[in-house]
Amino acid sequence: MKKKVLAVLLASAMVASLVGCGGGQTQEAPAQTEAETTDDAEAPAETTDGADAEAPVNEEEEAITATITVWGPSEDQSADAGNWLPTMCEQFAAQHPNWDLTFEYGVCAEGDAKATVTQDVEGAADVYMLANDNIPELVAANGLAELGGSYLEAVTSTNADSIIASVTYNDSVWAFPFTSNTWFMYYDKSVFTEDDVKSLDAMLEKGKVSFPLSNSWYIQAFYVANGATIFGDGTDEAAGINFGGDNAAAATDYLVDLVANANFINDQDGAGIAGLRDGSVNAIFSGTWDAASVQEALGDNMGVAALPTANIGGSAGQLKSFMGSKAIGVNPNCENMEVAMALAAYLASEEAQMAHYELRNVLPSNTNIVLADDAIATAVTKTMTDTSIMQPVVSSMGNYWSPAENMGKALVAGEITHDNAAEKTEEMNTAMNTDVAQ
Amino acid sequence: MSKANDTSVTGAKIRKTITNIIVHVILAILAFIWVLPIFWVVLTSFRGEKGSYVTTFFPQTYTINNYVKLFKDTTILNFPKMFMNTFVIAIFTCIISTIFVLSVSYCMSRMRFKMRRPFMNIAMILGLFPGFMSMVAVYYILKALNMSEGSMIPVALVVVFSAGTGLGFYVAKGFFDTIPKSLDEAAIIDGATRWKIFTNVTIPLSKPIIVYTILTSFMSPWIDFLFAKVICRADAKYYTVSIGLWKMLEKEYIDNWYTSFAAGAVLVSIPIAILFLMTQKFYVEGMSGAVKG
Repeated sequence: MKKKVLAVLLASAMVASLVGCGGGQTQEAPAQTEAETTDDAEAPAETTDGADAEAPVNEEEEAITATITVWGPSEDQSADAGNWLPTMCEQFAAQHPNWDLTFEYGVCAEGDAKATVTQDVEGAADVYMLANDNIPELVAANGLAELGGSYLEAVTSTNADSIIASVTYNDSVWAFPFTSNTWFMYYDKSVFTEDDVKSLDAMLEKGKVSFPLSNSWYIQAFYVANGATIFGDGTDEAAGINFGGDNAAAATDYLVDLVANANFINDQDGAGIAGLRDGSVNAIFSGTWDAASVQEALGDNMGVAALPTANIGGSAGQLKSFMGSKAIGVNPNCENMEVAMALAAYLASEEAQMAHYELRNVLPSNTNIVLADDAIATAVTKTMTDTSIMQPVVSSMGNYWSPAENMGKALVAGEITHDNAAEKTEEMNTAMNTDVAQ
Repeated sequence: MSKANDTSVTGAKIRKTITNIIVHVILAILAFIWVLPIFWVVLTSFRGEKGSYVTTFFPQTYTINNYVKLFKDTTILNFPKMFMNTFVIAIFTCIISTIFVLSVSYCMSRMRFKMRRPFMNIAMILGLFPGFMSMVAVYYILKALNMSEGSMIPVALVVVFSAGTGLGFYVAKGFFDTIPKSLDEAAIIDGATRWKIFTNVTIPLSKPIIVYTILTSFMSPWIDFLFAKVICRADAKYYTVSIGLWKMLEKEYIDNWYTSFAAGAVLVSIPIAILFLMTQKFYVEGMSGAVKG
């Protein structure tokens, strides 16, 4: 018996040491791929070198040696998607020959910035990418440095007002925006004409439409279409959320009918995109992240458009999506503020945005870049100017999401009827204006 | 007399059969309910259609591409790397925490010392608190020890998963309590030390509980998400599978990665299943040794 136990222990020790070796090998393997990826990274860098020749190479800066930590989503650091982030950082270093920079990269999707950075602000990246709705929490945790001077000027002079507003909080600008973040409509051109897609009601007569009604990032479109407001123009926290009254009740009434419509499918758990694939859905509402999947599902029939109108309470109201942005922020706790700020500005510069678009189809927010040939870019621009409202960047916005989601779910479940629509709308509005934290 | 006896025997037989049928039907239903989700995950992992939404239970087409994708498509989500990270962490956690649990249990079961009662009470109360309460505190302690960056992260994870396991001694202690003390006393008469008794008497008699301890401690790194996420933060190189699987379900990835997510879930169960198959015979064997003395 003793021998057996010993044997088992020895065997496990052996396995452990073997695995230890295995671990060592696997650690080497990525090192190799890293070397390859940097090779890949150099290739595009070289090809753009010609353009770079004109870029200002600042040789008068004082010498700085610094290690800069940069966090961004993994796609931006993937060799398959062109290695945007490392490429741009190397180009940045090349433009500043007096700065001896070492870059360290971390993976943190824009939407996760809030959670990952606030966990340990001092240990977080010097420069990181974030979604604009993370700004209030990040500012509260001292995780974002305010922009000023020429950097502020660079942001305000090259972006649309709605994008600037999306990174403005407490009257200060906190990050360099590089792309918009919103949703619009994908449709099947063989089912709907360009005239049809201007009105949701016309679309519902001709084909199946899928809308994520139980998702609170989408459902506000119908309320805003009928005159509801959310924090005034999106910045006035004192104005509160105005999702009550006859307007909002009419919108709820419209949604009750919409859910009952046989041509409407609630887009939940990926039902919309699955429907596009098998032809049981002809239009969905989503963002740029689904573009490749939709292209694959619809092929040449893929149509992209800004949001349609909906006939709520007798008049056509324009559906409006939330417009946010993704941006690059600088951690005020970083050691080399000058370098970090310059890098963040460079990553959001026209040149970097263009590279981002070419490599990963990330639509630029810079107004100097015009992409007339790109259907999605055109639709997003139209969405930005005509069919969206700014997603408010105020801390009370946190009270909006749950009541709106519950409303969507109750609608889909059929719990809301024409009889109780007004009452339920009032309840939702009250909940939205009640601060859970107080 | 004998006839009456016969009918009562057959009557009892019939009743037994009926009870058995009822029991088995209930068991079959429960087994079906329990196995169904696992079966569904396995089916989904072989599903040919993309996306997260399906209208049929059985896939319309079957493919192994979901598995291939996990191992080929590694630039965005490096599953093989995450798998190996977790595997290494699991092995070390398994060894360290098994030693901890068995040692603590043995002391609590066999030794008598002043703090024994209070210690057991404290351990019980501490065990009532959910572990994630200490999540952020643990992170800052690790940071103070310089274990929150770079290659120390896997070490930090092993520490987090194994350091506290000694507190979970209750089950193993209960098991050790059932081993007759007379065996220990006999060994002491033969001149054995405490260590000898532990290694030569107690451990050979406690295989079932050792196997149980090994299995649970090996599993914890595979299923833990919170600590791995808090400690790894943005260091994708050190991610464990649970973070990878969670990432696959994010808005940007879900449509492309959903079926691969199921494939990943199936793969994760393989090392645990192998360990279980390797060790399960000891469950049965364990108690037979006690009779020999």
